[in-house]
Amino acid sequence: MRFQFSVEAIGPAVLALALSLPVLGHAQPAAPAQPSEQDLANFDVKELFAGTCGFCHSDGGRVAGKGPQLMGDQHDDDFLRNRIKNGKPGAMPAFGATFNDQQIDAIIIYIRDLKPR
Amino acid sequence: MKKRPSCLASLASVAIATVLSASAASAQSVDTARIESGGQNDWLTYHGSYKGYHYSPLTQINSNNVGNLAVAWIHIPGRSTRGLQSMPLVADGTLYYTGSYSRVFALDGATGEVKWSYFPELDEALIARQTHSPYNRGLAMGEGKVYVGTMDGRLIALDMKSGKVAWDTKLIDSQKLTVGFTGAPLYAKGTVVIGAQGGEWPGRGPIFGVDAATGKKKWDFQTVAGTDDAMKSWGNDSWRTGGGGGWMPGTYDSENNTVLWGTANPAPLYDWSGPDWKTQGARPGENLYTTSVIGLDIDTGKLKYYHQELPHDTWDFDSAVGEFVMLDRDGQKLIVHPNKSGYIFVYDRNLGVKNVWRITENSNFVKSIDPKTGELIGRRDFTAGKVDEPLCPHISGGVSWNSGSYNPKTGLYYKLGQEWCMTLTITKTTPIVAPQAQLNIGADFKIAPPPGGEIYGHLDARDPVTGAKKWEVRYPEPPLASVLSTGGNLVFVPDARGILHAYDADSGAELWSHNNGTGHQGGIISYSAGGKQYVAVVAGFGGMASDDYAPTFGGVFKSMPRDDGALIVYSLRQ
Repeated sequence: MRFQFSVEAIGPAVLALALSLPVLGHAQPAAPAQPSEQDLANFDVKELFAGTCGFCHSDGGRVAGKGPQLMGDQHDDDFLRNRIKNGKPGAMPAFGATFNDQQIDAIIIYIRDLKPR
Repeated sequence: MKKRPSCLASLASVAIATVLSASAASAQSVDTARIESGGQNDWLTYHGSYKGYHYSPLTQINSNNVGNLAVAWIHIPGRSTRGLQSMPLVADGTLYYTGSYSRVFALDGATGEVKWSYFPELDEALIARQTHSPYNRGLAMGEGKVYVGTMDGRLIALDMKSGKVAWDTKLIDSQKLTVGFTGAPLYAKGTVVIGAQGGEWPGRGPIFGVDAATGKKKWDFQTVAGTDDAMKSWGNDSWRTGGGGGWMPGTYDSENNTVLWGTANPAPLYDWSGPDWKTQGARPGENLYTTSVIGLDIDTGKLKYYHQELPHDTWDFDSAVGEFVMLDRDGQKLIVHPNKSGYIFVYDRNLGVKNVWRITENSNFVKSIDPKTGELIGRRDFTAGKVDEPLCPHISGGVSWNSGSYNPKTGLYYKLGQEWCMTLTITKTTPIVAPQAQLNIGADFKIAPPPGGEIYGHLDARDPVTGAKKWEVRYPEPPLASVLSTGGNLVFVPDARGILHAYDADSGAELWSHNNGTGHQGGIISYSAGGKQYVAVVAGFGGMASDDYAPTFGGVFKSMPRDDGALIVYSLRQ
C-alpha cells in the first residue's frame, strides 16, 4: 500500500491502518495508541478535510455547503470539541472514537486558522 | 310488503361480492410469478415490477379527472431524521413502507389505519458515526414476508400479516466498515438480494443473496475485485480500500436467471493520477467492478456479464443509482440504465452496449461517450491542486438515485436531469480504516452554477432508446424524488419545494398540483384498494443531496425541517 507521506506524519488512527493493512480483511481494529509529539505536530488536518470533513464542509471549511462554514466560526472551543466528538444526529457523524483529544485540538487550530484561498 | 331489490341492484351486489371474494382469494403469498406479472392493483417490488417501469396501469385517475384529486389520508412515521426516502409497496390493499431507522409500517391502503408497526433496535452509537444515514429507501416482499435492511448491517424479515420477526441476519461488520444498508432489497426466486453502501467508504462493497425462507446467506459478491481478473485492475493493493457497493436495488431477469445490479464508485472519489491513471495515482487501473452494471446468477452470485460504464471513475458517478428499464424495441430486448453522470446507457440483455445518450445539458467530465461501444472520449483526469475549469455535473450527479418512469402507452421515459457543477482542489489522501473506516473523498470542493447560467432541474419526456426529447418541464431546484407515470395518461413529479405536480403524459401540460408542506426525496406509487385508485407519496426532506439546498437556494429551504416527514395518499373526491 502506498502512503502519500511519512509514517511520522500520521496520527494514531492512520498509524493503526499502517499496522493492520496487510491482513485488513481479518484484523481486529487496533486500539488507538497515544500519539508521539511528532505525530501530533504533523497530524495533517488539511488532508483530513480533503478526505473526510470536506464532504460537508465545502472548500476545506471555508464556505457553507452540506455543513456550516467553519472559517470565522463564532462558537467557543468547547462547542467545537463537543460537536466533533459527539456529532449531531442526521447532520454530522461522531468522531470521538476516531480522534483523541490532541488530534481534535489540532482540528480546532486548523479551523481557527482558516482564511480565504 | 317489502319492495324487492331491482334486478340491476342484485346484479351489482353479486358483482361486488365477486370482486370482494376474488380479492380474498388473490390475497395469496406474493411470489416471483406474481411480481413478474405486475398485478395492476398492487406495487409488489421497489421498481413497480421486474421491468423497472415505475408505472401503474390504473386508469381510474386520469388526465380528464385529475383536477378532482384530493388527500384521502396521511400517516406520520415519526423520528424522520433526514426525511423520508422510501418507496411504499402494496399487496392486496395493504400498504407497507419504511421510515428512518428502518421503521416498518403496514397500513390499510384505503383508510391509513395502522395494522402493525415494527421498530428494530439498532446500534445507535454506530449510527451516530455514519454520514449517509439513518434514512431507509424501502422494502422487498415475497413468501409472506417483507424484508428491510438496517444501518448496522442487518437484513430483517417480518411476517406480512403480523409484523413479527421471522429472521434477522447480520451481513456486514458495520462496526468496522462504518457503512450498512440504506437501499431497498430485491426479492426474486426464493432469494433476497441487497447491496451495501460503499463508494467513498474504503471497503469492498459487497452484494448479498440471502435465502428468503431461512435468512441464511447464500452468496456474496465483492464489487471491488470480486474475481481474479478484476483484482488485476487495482494497482498497489488499492482493492483493499476500493469502495464500490450496490446501494440501490436492481432487478431480476427471469429469462436469464440473472440479477442485474448497478455498482458504486471507487475510493478515493477523486484521483490525482492525471492522464496516467492506469499506472499512477491512488488506485491505478480500471477498478473493476466499480461504476458498472453487472449480471449475477441469482442462485450462486457468480458474475455472468458486466459493462463498466465509467472505467477508473474519478468523478463519483455511480452506476448504483439507476433503474433497469427492460423493454422491447423492434424485436430487440433492451435494458435502459441511467448512470449518475447523466449518460443513459442502452444495452441488450447480456449488457452489450447498443446506444448511449445524455440527459444533462452541462457535462464536461468527458467530451462524449461513443454510442456504439460505450468508450469514454476526452475524459478529464485531474492532478493534485486546483482544478481550473469547474467540473460538470456536480457530485450530486446529472441524475440521482430517484427513479424515472417508462410509460408503455406513450412509449416515453420520464426522467429528471440536474444542471449543476463544482469547483475542486484535488488533494492526496490516505484511507482511514481503523478504528473505523472514514470517508475518502480526495478533494476540497464547492457547488457552482453551470457556466453562464443558473442551477436548475428538468423533467424530460424522452424516447428511452434514442434519447429524442418530446417535451421538458424545468424547475428552479432539481427535484430529488422518483417519478410515477400511469395508464391514465399522467406523470407525477414530487418536487423539492414540496409541491406534487401531475402532468399530461403526452403533452407535458400541468394538470394539477398540491402542496405537501415539505420537500420530497423519496418514492411515489399508485395502487387500488376496494375498487378505488390511490396515489401515495412520501414527503420529508434532509438527505445528502438536499443538504446543499438551503445554503445554495435559500427561500423555503431555510425553514424546511430535515427531521420530519409524512406519507400522503390521494384519491378522487367522491
